[in-house]
Amino acid sequence: MFYLSRIEHTLRVPPDILSRPLTDAIKAELEKLFLDKVIANLGLCISVYDITSIEGGFIFPGDGAATYTAVFTMIMFRPFVGEIISAKVRESDANGLRLSLGFFEDIYVPANLLPDPSHPEPDPRKRDRVTWIWDYNGEKYVIDGQDEIRFQVHSVNYPPIPVEQPKESKPFAPMVITGSLDSDGLGPVSWWVGAEQAEEEDEEV
Amino acid sequence: MKILEANAGPLANYEVLNFLKSKGASKDPTRVLADVAPSEYKVYDYLIETAACNQTEENVGEFLEKCEKYDLAKAEVLNIINIRPSTAVEIYSIIEHCDMRLGEAVEELVEMATEVLPLPPTEPATEEVNIEANKKTADQDNNEQQVDEDQEKASDKEPGQTS
Repeated sequence: MFYLSRIEHTLRVPPDILSRPLTDAIKAELEKLFLDKVIANLGLCISVYDITSIEGGFIFPGDGAATYTAVFTMIMFRPFVGEIISAKVRESDANGLRLSLGFFEDIYVPANLLPDPSHPEPDPRKRDRVTWIWDYNGEKYVIDGQDEIRFQVHSVNYPPIPVEQPKESKPFAPMVITGSLDSDGLGPVSWWVGAEQAEEEDEEV
Repeated sequence: MKILEANAGPLANYEVLNFLKSKGASKDPTRVLADVAPSEYKVYDYLIETAACNQTEENVGEFLEKCEKYDLAKAEVLNIINIRPSTAVEIYSIIEHCDMRLGEAVEELVEMATEVLPLPPTEPATEEVNIEANKKTADQDNNEQQVDEDQEKASDKEPGQTS
């Protein structure tokens, strides 16, 4: 789920923070530049782990700031395909589910990757919202958004930045995870706690 | 920007959590004074509710040692540490071709994982207590009522379905 990545970057350090120790100043600049942003094919930047080397300090003619080249390690959020992650439901509509990790919210579970067979039922309280229900052996298991949901990473995409965005479209997401719930052990955690319990009791009887 | 090394090593959830704690994320209740960005607090809030919150270097080290004999891939071990499965069915999805590779050893692996890795403190603990409580009340009902066998079976199944 989390990886370290080594990155080299040339950055401008404005003079007002040069009164601080150089590593602190550069770290602050790097955090301002990278934190909570997605680098294509590398993932979401979580935190600057450490700074390996700092070189330069050149002041370009006509520029009132020093330019440094820093090599640093960053903690990245980059799930691998097949990984199991727990998340919470954010939205549930006719197309499927949208899950959230708190710090990352572009996780979609399309209807065809929900447990098979499932069907949606309209939510009486909210328009456009539905509740997905898994029919298993005549019993109904509801994805109600209360509990934690385990999903398997089906794919991770980094869509190219659009030149022009149509009006009233969703905000652009630089990293989109497609999740799957269609396997044993996935879905709301309570489904499986209950299942195990029922099995044991069947054996006891 | 130049990417020198895209993958300089994976981190487990508990390692990221420890890193954020070492930056002071857990100490500052106002969340203003510590040198931690708001986005880092979001990660911290997520991790503190997962199984990672009580894991330590020693726990995980012990788990890695005991894991060696199962011949699992690194990613699978990492995933088990992050999720801390407590039932066999949760492991099936983590490990590829689980039946073929592990067979009967799955139960053993689950038992070992739950033993070595500490319990996440909040929700799962209360869930287990609830189940136990349900079980107890179900048992009591059985003793008190002494109904015929068919009804007993029905009431036995109840806690599993409701929980």
